[in-house]
Amino acid sequence: MTPAPKTYVRPMNRWWMRHPAYRRYLLREGTSVMVAAYALFLLAGMVCLVLGEAAFNLWRGFLQSPVSVIFHLAALAAFAFHAWTWFKVMPLTTPPIRFRGRSVPDRMIFRAALWAWGIASLILLVLAMRFL
Amino acid sequence: MRTRSHEPIVWSLFGAGGVFAALLGTMLVLIIGILVPMGLGFGPDAMHYDTLRSLFGHPLPALGLAVVISLFLFHGAHRIYHTLHDLGIPASKKIMLACYGSAAAGSGAALLLAGMLVVF
Amino acid sequence: MSQTRTIMIECLRYDPEQDQAPHYRTYEVPFTDEMSVLEGLQYIKDHLDGSLTFRWSCRMAICGSCGCMVNHQPILSCQSFLRDYYPARIRVEPLEHFPIVKDLVIDQSDFLGKLESVTPYLVPAQPLTPEDGPNLQTPRQIEDYLGYAQCINCLLCYAACPQYGLNNEFTGPAALALLARYNADSRDAGQKTRMEVVNAEEGVWGCTLVGLCSEVCPKHVDPARAINRNKINSTQDYFLRFLAPFGRGS
Ligand code: SF4
Ligand code: FES
Repeated sequence: MTPAPKTYVRPMNRWWMRHPAYRRYLLREGTSVMVAAYALFLLAGMVCLVLGEAAFNLWRGFLQSPVSVIFHLAALAAFAFHAWTWFKVMPLTTPPIRFRGRSVPDRMIFRAALWAWGIASLILLVLAMRFL
Repeated sequence: MRTRSHEPIVWSLFGAGGVFAALLGTMLVLIIGILVPMGLGFGPDAMHYDTLRSLFGHPLPALGLAVVISLFLFHGAHRIYHTLHDLGIPASKKIMLACYGSAAAGSGAALLLAGMLVVF
Repeated sequence: MSQTRTIMIECLRYDPEQDQAPHYRTYEVPFTDEMSVLEGLQYIKDHLDGSLTFRWSCRMAICGSCGCMVNHQPILSCQSFLRDYYPARIRVEPLEHFPIVKDLVIDQSDFLGKLESVTPYLVPAQPLTPEDGPNLQTPRQIEDYLGYAQCINCLLCYAACPQYGLNNEFTGPAALALLARYNADSRDAGQKTRMEVVNAEEGVWGCTLVGLCSEVCPKHVDPARAINRNKINSTQDYFLRFLAPFGRGS
């Protein structure tokens, strides 16, 4: 047998610098840090709610602070980017959908998802205005 | 024979969390963090202690909140776990345990708190 | 007649017998509007440096052998034109994530092993002989797999996949797309063997849906779709086996 040729394997360090699509991908994955952080923030609210009125008013008061506004604006951007990218790749994951024998094009699925996003948000807003 | 991956368990939770975060996340953040504190469409008494206590005294809203928190946590844990690998911190049992373990702990806490809100 | 202009081509060079690591050399290449990147490389080989090594064959985007990176984008060099990069200089490198054999030539043996692992051929339910007659399909049945069947094994998708670069245990886009292609074929009954590959950590679960593979594929195979749809199948398979302990289809 002839020996395997000597080859050169390139390193993967800073691979995300090589293509803008990689940086967009990491940004998309990065939204998850905000999603988790927001879950912890809500969890803290729950803890305060259980602890009693004084504790809860601290959490409620924090909402009024500039730090909270900045945190929420960042969270808003992250959730919106998450939603956009989530719906964008959704057609790749869903099983093929057929309508009258033709497969439904990706952009139709994407558009339907955007509508669902809008409607779900509206319902949540109406419920919040009614019950909060 | 290749070994079967257990990824479907965490992937399902990640996916469910992703759907919830996509459909509800933006409005949730907007209401709690912007609209209510600025009084846009909400009165100064919105999200008062008494209101929330009675709202989450019902099992359905309490459970709903706990489920949303839990799925958000699993969504985050899953992506963070894989992104750490992408950034050059190789996937390991330890990191896996840290990510999904804290998501599970947070979920347990959320369910427990929901139960307390309903019972007490 | 289009006029002749000059473009700078910076090319990765690596000679396994001389070099410890690759280096770059820049060539001044006169080109006309209809010249592809491949023809630019051929100009270098014919007129400037006969030692430059690269693969090509068909020059019409069908053999899949001329893939390389231009400015970090995986492309078929016979299908990309110098005029589209001019006046900027271009940097030509061998396909990312594969070991370099020499200059622009990569070692694709890892991929060939993966290709074999997905049983990339029809497995009939019962052995067939010519007496059984033709194996008919409706247009709709053909449509189910035709897109995935367009693959020319050019490996641009592997060069676009950081997960393969980070961990080359991952079966990767083209092989998993071909797996989906045979699973989707009505004449095939080999799903069960292939499902083992799908379900493995190195199967569809090695993918985090970066998605660049589908964007760079010159044949619009859409490997990202093939892989991520199989994540649903794998998840079903994972949970349903508890309901049906004797497995699917048996
Ligand atoms: S899937 Fe597309 S990019 Fe990948 S090897 Fe096949 S033809 Fe090339
Ligand atoms: S030379 Fe055949 S694909 Fe480019």
